[in-house]
Amino acid sequence: MVMKVMKEKTRKAVTFYSLVGPWFLVFLALSLLPLCFGFYLSFTNYYGFNMDNLRLVGLHNYQLVFTDTEAMYAMYRTFVYAIVSVPLTTAISLLLALLLNGAIRGLGFFRTSFYLPSIMPAITTIFIFKQLLYSSNGGFLNMVLGWFGLPEVNWLGYDFCTASLILMSAWGAGGGLLIFMAGLKGIPAALYEAASIDGAGSAQRFFRITVPLITPVIFFNLVMGLISAFQVYMQPILLNGTQLLSHPLKPNYLYAVHAFQQIFGSQRFAYGMALLWVLFVIILLFSCAVFFTSKYWVYSESD
Amino acid sequence: MKRNRKLLALALAALTAAASLTACAGDQSGESSAAPSGEETSAVSSEESHDPVTVTTNLSDGELSKDQIAQFKEKYPWITVELQKLDDAKMAAALATGTAPDCIRGTGVFELPSYAIKGIAADITDRIEKSEVIRKDDLLPVTNVCRFDGTTIGKGPYYGLPKDWSNDTALFYNKKCFDAAGVPVPDSKTALTWPQVFELAKKLTVVKDKKVVQYGLSATEWGKTDANFNQMLQYVASAGAAISSADNKTMNFDIPAVRDYLTLWADAAKNNVGPNAVNNDQTPGGDLFLANKSALLIDGYWYGGVIRGNDNAKTHLDDFGMLPTPTAPNGKRVAAPSSAVSLMLYKQSKNPDDAWKFLEWYIGGSPADERAKAGWGLPIFKSKMAEIPQETDFDKELLAVVNDESAAMESFLPVNPYLANGGWNIFDKYYQPLVFGKTTVDNMVKNMTKDANDTVTEAVNSISK
Repeated sequence: MVMKVMKEKTRKAVTFYSLVGPWFLVFLALSLLPLCFGFYLSFTNYYGFNMDNLRLVGLHNYQLVFTDTEAMYAMYRTFVYAIVSVPLTTAISLLLALLLNGAIRGLGFFRTSFYLPSIMPAITTIFIFKQLLYSSNGGFLNMVLGWFGLPEVNWLGYDFCTASLILMSAWGAGGGLLIFMAGLKGIPAALYEAASIDGAGSAQRFFRITVPLITPVIFFNLVMGLISAFQVYMQPILLNGTQLLSHPLKPNYLYAVHAFQQIFGSQRFAYGMALLWVLFVIILLFSCAVFFTSKYWVYSESD
Repeated sequence: MKRNRKLLALALAALTAAASLTACAGDQSGESSAAPSGEETSAVSSEESHDPVTVTTNLSDGELSKDQIAQFKEKYPWITVELQKLDDAKMAAALATGTAPDCIRGTGVFELPSYAIKGIAADITDRIEKSEVIRKDDLLPVTNVCRFDGTTIGKGPYYGLPKDWSNDTALFYNKKCFDAAGVPVPDSKTALTWPQVFELAKKLTVVKDKKVVQYGLSATEWGKTDANFNQMLQYVASAGAAISSADNKTMNFDIPAVRDYLTLWADAAKNNVGPNAVNNDQTPGGDLFLANKSALLIDGYWYGGVIRGNDNAKTHLDDFGMLPTPTAPNGKRVAAPSSAVSLMLYKQSKNPDDAWKFLEWYIGGSPADERAKAGWGLPIFKSKMAEIPQETDFDKELLAVVNDESAAMESFLPVNPYLANGGWNIFDKYYQPLVFGKTTVDNMVKNMTKDANDTVTEAVNSISK
């Protein structure tokens, strides 16, 4: 009997490792090892071409991250961007999901239309917003202002460039739409019926039933949104410039942009890697903070 | 049934492992398995035998056509040429990982000196001396831009050769715009000073109902009318000034020439002489110029090919022409190329001899003749200058300006090889706040000096043993 159980266990183990093995090997070779190597290089004077002249510099690059006023300013701007754009995008996704949560005509068409912007290539989105919306030469937003006799605005100037970036990010809110719709479908209809019978209005039903029960999905979108927002770099660069090494205006100089510029613009690979490892720790801390607060506001079926 | 399911799972796992290992494998610059052509069309002796090799390069599709690749294959059947699309970021990654193309396409002006001191580009002086395709005595002096002795551009070994070149800070004019502004076109035999150019640009900027209907100046064909690092270096060279020490290990932007240049451009932005970040006009300067909405464009001979090929512009080619490269006030004429796209031999290439065959053929063989005749750049060979277009009055005017400033093309931009990407990054970072009035010229030059010296010091330390 014992032998039979062991054989069964062995078989299960072999099956398990055979199935996860390929993924793990690829993860090891293409993710974990390069990450570890990058971590090692962040303690050296690596400049992209001096592998034969590598020297350890201790914590010099990491000290530079915190003494570099540009890096700290870029981190501050990233916080501002993340704290505004992530809740805004999440709220828009939820609103769109609520609008589509019902038997409405053309549901498939609207769902596709709202979801489409989130899968468009970033370059296309940037081009649309930059040329068609924000430009002062034929741009749609300034045209609308003109209809109302209002003066033109430089949407990509110092005053509005961050708002323009956030607006462009919010256009991709449809990405969370499908997950919210699935979450809404999971709320039992009996709860709404019972609440209606008890005299609850639509607002009460929304805030007392829908929102609490959808908090796990909100939580998921918040965490994923924060992780993405901290890593944004292409959009601020190309919104103001025409090449990846262009320098965005200061309000849009985000942390990932700074790291990108250090690595590919100035070829300060080691410093750039130190910046990215610090970013990793910050994202981790933020995620942990959100997880920690989740016990106060995220509904769990086991409660 | 359970056993069958387990067997199926194991089989799927094995298939996945095989697929993922296949996906991981493969090196783009590995040896080709293509066999040489069976026909004796090659110029190589039938007694020689060669293993098939692949030579990689990051020339673009427009610079190396499929026909040309086939021509080369006919001449050297064992060599397959493979194009790699590498932007600046990908090239930096390729260099860092030792997987750069065998023949690296880069700018002779900015990238070549940097690649030379970093040990990326190989010394090809001996190969040029022995070449039967590239005759050293036929090379124009401008090819010295690819020579670097560790401190001075223009001297020392060759680390590459330009595929063509242009007087990149010359001026193209659009006569229709001059007529619209009621301003006569300046004499094409006299070089203006940069302050004169900006004064002219202001006169050429036409405003109607508070909207600019015609700009005076486009700074580049691809972007806005903003100052850029290349043009600043030309101004500094014309003024006879220097921003780097003799050994290139320190830099100083706080000199009158740089201040004057920045002041001119800050004033130009205020006066809306072209699309810029402040007026947020996203239309590229070249589009405006060709659509008769910008009177002047700073560009080199090569842009003549764009004008000839543009559907709108080619119907009135006589309205376009070139003015000589402007100078700093009381400065000398400097019509140096700002780019000089060149081919370099990667020092770590696994097939240097075959890569050289491609480089030599591309630079000096039939593609050189094709490039010269197309008029998309000036050839680097004296013997091929007669092949450039000379049919229309437009062609003749361009050639006349080029001949007039040929002596001025033998100088080079004062690029610091330790400053990655030639300082574009640093310049762009501080120029934007300047035009928005968020900083002053004083602060800009001081900050640029600090950032540049930080970068140069780190680069020097990383190279020194």
